[in-house]
Amino acid sequence: MKKVLLVDDDDDVRKLVSKLVEKAGYQAIIATNGIEGMDKIVEDEPDLIILDILMPKQSGIRLYHRLKTDNNLKDIPVIMLSAIEEKSFFNSQKVLDEFAGKTVPEPEAYMEKPEDPEELIALMKKILG
Amino acid sequence: MTSQAKILIVDDNIDSVKLLTKRLRVEGYDTSEAYDGEQALREVSKYHPDLILLDVMMPKIDGHEVCRRLKTSEDTKLIPIIMLTVKKEVSDKIKGLGTGADDYITKPFDFRELIQRVRYWSSVKIGVEERLRQIRQLEHELIKSERLAAIGQTVSSIAHYGKNIIFGLRGGVYLVNTSFKENKIDSIKFGWEMVERNIGRISDLLLDLLEYSRENRPDYENCHPNKIADEVCELMEANAKEYDVRIIKDFDPSMPEVLIDVKGINRCLRNLISNAIDACFFDSTIEKNWTVKVRTIYEKGGTIIFEVSDNGCGMDEKVKSKLFVSFFSTKEGRGTGLGLLNTQKIVHEHGGSIAVNSKPNKGSTFTIRIPNVNQAPEKSVGIQD
Repeated sequence: MKKVLLVDDDDDVRKLVSKLVEKAGYQAIIATNGIEGMDKIVEDEPDLIILDILMPKQSGIRLYHRLKTDNNLKDIPVIMLSAIEEKSFFNSQKVLDEFAGKTVPEPEAYMEKPEDPEELIALMKKILG
Repeated sequence: MTSQAKILIVDDNIDSVKLLTKRLRVEGYDTSEAYDGEQALREVSKYHPDLILLDVMMPKIDGHEVCRRLKTSEDTKLIPIIMLTVKKEVSDKIKGLGTGADDYITKPFDFRELIQRVRYWSSVKIGVEERLRQIRQLEHELIKSERLAAIGQTVSSIAHYGKNIIFGLRGGVYLVNTSFKENKIDSIKFGWEMVERNIGRISDLLLDLLEYSRENRPDYENCHPNKIADEVCELMEANAKEYDVRIIKDFDPSMPEVLIDVKGINRCLRNLISNAIDACFFDSTIEKNWTVKVRTIYEKGGTIIFEVSDNGCGMDEKVKSKLFVSFFSTKEGRGTGLGLLNTQKIVHEHGGSIAVNSKPNKGSTFTIRIPNVNQAPEKSVGIQD
């Protein structure tokens, strides 16, 4: 069974999305912040990551950047799922790229909460096949 | 400053007032006159001159006294005063300067000399006032822009929190709908609980926002602080049990009945105890006996102390520094980020203070100190942290 890692600090969102992941026919793995998220990525090697942005300890922006600059992990597809506007996220990526001096690829999809749950299921199926 | 400077001429000699008036008007000044000290003081408050030419020898109140009164009043102390007198005596000059006069001219005077001094002194007050006006304007703009920034930040924080809530509501409804078709009772229950939880979150948010935006005066009534603490403990008991937390009560038997805002203090204690239970819930140690201790202390001098301590996860310095900042929450969506802010607000409205002591993995202690008032004050006083 394919594994989907969900990184979100909101308890309710975690409950809901893991239910949706199971509904789509995958196994849900959970992390509550960026640091825990990175540990789970290395440990469980998920097939897809659903990533929130605003989280304590380490934000989704930092985690995404670490992930995409790591040669062993950069091919894991990511769906960003956040209440932050899409535009703000891409602006922050641009700034980080300029700072790091290299371009990090964009995520597979960006979903702004409150997204229709059905859309999220459809997207997971599209990416994981 | 484009308007012409206004000069008040004060002299009991009508002719010399007339002469000065005529010559100053020719020079382009606006003038007004007074013929004794009392009239001068009245005229100052009506006319708001930029400069006063003040004769020393006058009936009723003399020039020295007029000068002293004007220079000791906040409203008029900036108005420059030139003393006019026939006396050439040094003692008079010293007396005049001692009462705060800015300059001195002895009669008979050379008009060209007078006009030079008038030109200088009439520009002084205008200059100072213009600067004060500019400073006030800048201050005003700064406050306004800070307020707008605060509103903007608040709105976006609420919007962010709201988006998560709507996501939860939509998700709950989706789960209920799809599970109905598949006849999965467990999933229906799961979805419905999610809807209920998020309705709870949105109403908590609104109540906290309302409480925070309202300017309250404590609603003082006679009550026993131990009774309030006991009631809140009882209320939180079920919640505590759910997370294996034991509430320990330690109430000071010498606590008297006091005047206090019962509802407000009830709210503060509920907030602190529920935070303490959450701190135990977020503690990752498995083999701990979690406790929340609620103490009341009556201090000599009449201070009422409520203390809520837990042996839960505690806080590091970074979290502690953000405790009383709006919308900061560590509770993974379980809190609105306004609870402690409201507790602090209620305590301050009582003229009290709130303090925190915390160590990571050891626990936290919140202490509220409320002064015992024998009668309800007119307004809340003294804020300290």
